[in-house]
Amino acid sequence: MTDEELMLAVCDGDQSAYQIIVKQQLKSISHYAYRMLGNQKDTEDITQETFLKLWINAGKWQPEKSKLSTWLHRITHNLCIDYLRKHSKMQTQENIENEVDAALIEKEGADRDDATQQQTTQLEQAIGRLPENQRSALMLCYYSGFSNKEAAAIMNMSVKALESSIARAKRSLRTELSESDNAQ
Amino acid sequence: MTTTMTLEEFSTLVDVHGSNIENWPSALRKDSKTFLESSDRARALISEQRRLEQQLDQITVPEFAGLQARILNQQLPPRNDPLLDKLLDWLIPAGGFTIQLWRPAMVACLPLVFGIVLGNYYSFGVGLQSSEVEYWEDELAMLSLSDYSESIF
Repeated sequence: MTDEELMLAVCDGDQSAYQIIVKQQLKSISHYAYRMLGNQKDTEDITQETFLKLWINAGKWQPEKSKLSTWLHRITHNLCIDYLRKHSKMQTQENIENEVDAALIEKEGADRDDATQQQTTQLEQAIGRLPENQRSALMLCYYSGFSNKEAAAIMNMSVKALESSIARAKRSLRTELSESDNAQ
Repeated sequence: MTTTMTLEEFSTLVDVHGSNIENWPSALRKDSKTFLESSDRARALISEQRRLEQQLDQITVPEFAGLQARILNQQLPPRNDPLLDKLLDWLIPAGGFTIQLWRPAMVACLPLVFGIVLGNYYSFGVGLQSSEVEYWEDELAMLSLSDYSESIF
């Protein structure tokens, strides 16, 4: 079934079509939310809310204007931005730093040498410190695999503004990496 | 081969499109490759970018155990679109161009139809006065009594 057929079924109240979409999109949506929030609990809440909005507003999706994944990421993006604006920047950054440490140690700690792990942790913290539009642009284009045009549509900005955000984000991260090299 | 590309332009392209020139827009590839061959600084930029990408690839996301079940098992609310949304969806549907046009046109005609119907049934005090009605009745009576035989022949 195509996305359009699935969404038509969801509009008619078909829960099995809804479940198929959830299974197809869950990983991409939850990963984007986590990379924006750096917080496992809120990532789960935002992901759940995204799919709830999909169910409630299924009729509003316009297949001729955007792909389903683009529309869903836009919902997630808006929810994440609302979350980030409601919570203080300090708190979000703190969450990212704490959770990043825990996740890294838990998942890969034994496999990596200390220097690499430290650099990755520093890079994650640097990503957490990026302004939200730079972080979103980087996450959508680099990790989620959207084209610049699609990412710009998700973030409701021009392609030029998006490309400028990506360039600034990468320059900041490169600077952080070279500073980390110099410190070692 | 020469290129008009500057290091600043090349640097922006590296930041925006990544370290693999094959993934850049096709219109820019030829110039970029020429510039890359001729500039040590450009090669250094590609190398720095590649290193950043390797570091970015190291960043992982934790598993969200139970999240799928949590979403699939949640009670889905009944969809109850607001009346305004329903009206707007009806008026400007998501379908083709023709269906998007005829509904607004039909709605625009509604006041006209309403006015004709209303005007047909109510006079709003501007209707014919009783004396005029009598006048017309008199006229008809006179016409019926007139002898037109001479005028015909």
